[in-house]
Order: sequence, then structure tokens, then C-alpha cells
Amino acid sequence: MSTVALTGTPGTGKTTVSELVADRLEIEVVHLNDAIREAALVSERDVDRDSLIADLDAVEAWLDDYRAGESGDLGTDERDRDLLVESHLAHLLDVDRVVVLRCHPETLKPRLRARGESEASVAENAESEALDGILATAVDRHGEASVWEVDTTDRTPEAVADDVAAAIEGRIDPRVGVVDFIEYL
Amino acid sequence: MSESETSRDKWGIAHVHASFNNTLITVTDLTGAETIVKSSGGAVVKQNRDEASPYAAMQMAESVAEEIKAAGIEGLHVRVRGPGGNDIKSPGPGAQATIRALARAGLEIGRIEDVTPIPHDGTRAPKNRRL
Ligand SMILES: Nc1ncnc2c1ncn2[C@@H]1O[C@H](COP(=O)(O)OP(=O)(O)O)[C@@H](O)[C@H]1O
Ligand SMILES: [Mg+2]
Repeated sequence: MSTVALTGTPGTGKTTVSELVADRLEIEVVHLNDAIREAALVSERDVDRDSLIADLDAVEAWLDDYRAGESGDLGTDERDRDLLVESHLAHLLDVDRVVVLRCHPETLKPRLRARGESEASVAENAESEALDGILATAVDRHGEASVWEVDTTDRTPEAVADDVAAAIEGRIDPRVGVVDFIEYL
Repeated sequence: MSESETSRDKWGIAHVHASFNNTLITVTDLTGAETIVKSSGGAVVKQNRDEASPYAAMQMAESVAEEIKAAGIEGLHVRVRGPGGNDIKSPGPGAQATIRALARAGLEIGRIEDVTPIPHDGTRAPKNRRL
């Protein structure tokens, strides 16, 4: 079983795209943010950001258990299915490959506002996206040969899902450095 | 005007944005309200992936240093926004090179703060997780 991280700044479309990818490929999706909340895989609360700080060791252990449980319960065919872990924290885990969704900060902001994020949170996420924050961390941790960067700006979720599926199936080569949003800053 | 107020006028804040692909320096007054100089790696080197290189960042910092010295600034506090913070390996390699070049150009360097934004929604990663 191979584990693929689908990561990106909040609002880049991970949850939406993961469902579309699951329709295209024999792959199981883990919505990691839900698991973190439900299993309380957190250490403390960031009061300023109104955000729970994930306990990444606990998250890693949870994912190990999940994988072990899956292979125990399922038949041989299903046991070989890949796992797609979607979360803006997924690239911080021990995964085999990383797909990073990118989105122009000006496109990202109204999406985050629409789901009720505070202005401070909208601004910080947009700035992080402009600085390639998650991409850089993913490359630092996994190396350029394991990272696929996908620009979603002005593209439909279906088109993005096509690229993500191609990356997972190895039909396109790893690639990073495809966008430069620094002019936003 | 007291002497301390006079010397305050000679200080600015260098906002160093070091992304995966590029480096941007903005120098403001101490309130952050007034921009004195703005320069991005793209202004120095046109090839995309070279724009984040320490060399491009250094060249940019040198020309920024000349401009701000001409504007009467003698010292800079530095706010770095760059993925990975201060011990970055491949990403944002421009940050350290920028600060060194500003110092070499004869500017006094004051406080250096890491104000890298953290992506978050209901959850976020812990800070400074060792990779
Ligand atoms: N390619 C896209 N184009 C336009 N809107 C999108 C796209 N992908 C996602 N969205 C919308 O943006 C919002 C955030 O998407 P979501 O999948 O929840 O992002 P994430 O899981 O990365 O935080 C949702 O309202 C979703 O419908
Ligand atoms: Mg989501």
C-alpha cells in the first residue's frame, strides 16, 4: 500500500478534489482534518488563531493504526489500494508521494471568507500561499523527486483531479516551481 | 528633536520575503506604513528558478542597500518571512544571503524576527517541527 499526501494551503481545493480522484481511481481517501478533530489528535490550542495544534506523532500513530486496520479487514485486492491522505498537514507525515495544490492568493481569499474564516486567518493563509510555504516544506521534507505541484488557479476541480490522478498513477513526472505568487506580497 | 528621535529616523524595517521561487525585499519606516524601497528577485535575474538563489538575493540586497542609504537610513530591523524559518535548506535560500549582504553594505542590523505565516484552518501544525 502506498500513501499519497494531498496537501496545500486551506481553500486550495483538497477536500473537493480528493472526492473526484476517488471516483476515478481505486484509492481510499482519508480526510485527515476530520480525524484530527474526532480523535483529538491535538496537543494544545492556538488561541490567537482559534486553531488546534496537531500532535503530529499522535497523527502518525493514528494513520499507522488506520493502515493496519484496513489491511486486516480487507481482501487482498483492496489491501493493495493506495491511500490518499488529504489535509494541509499531510505532507508532514511519513508518506510516499506528495501532491501540492496551489491557488493564486487573490483567488484563495474569497473562498476562505465564504467559509467564515476571520480576516486575520484569510490574510495569513493568503500570505503563506504567496510564499510557497507548504510547497517549500514538502520539498524540504520529501525531496523534489517526490513532489507534484499542481496549479488550480482558474481551473475546474475536474481538471485538477485529472492532474492529481495522473500524478498518483505516475503518468506525469514530479515537478515543482510551477508558480510564482510573490507579486501578491 | 531629541537625539534619540533623530537616530530613530535613521532606522527602517527590512521585510524579507523568501519564497521557493523568489525573494522580495521591502524596506519601510519603523511604523511599517511608509515604503521606502521595494525590490524583487525578478528585477535582477530573469530566469525563474534562479530568482530564489542566494546570488540573486545578494545582488538585489546590494542595490536595495544603496537606495536606502541614499534615503538616509543607517540601520535596519529585519522581519523574515520564509518557509522553514531560519534553518532553511533548499527553500527560500535568499533570506540569509539577503541579511548578510545588507550588513556587508554597511547597514547596521538590529533585531531579526521570524514572522513566517502559518497555514491554518481549524487545525495547524506545531511550530518548528524538526524535519
Ligand atoms: N478548482 C476550483 N475552482 C473553484 N472553486 C473551487 C475549486 N476547488 C475548490 N473550490 C471551492 O473552494 C472551496 C474550498 O475547497 P475545499 O475543497 O474545501 O478546500 P480545502 O479542502 O483545500 O480547504 C469550496 O467552496 C470549493 O467548492
Ligand atoms: Mg478540506
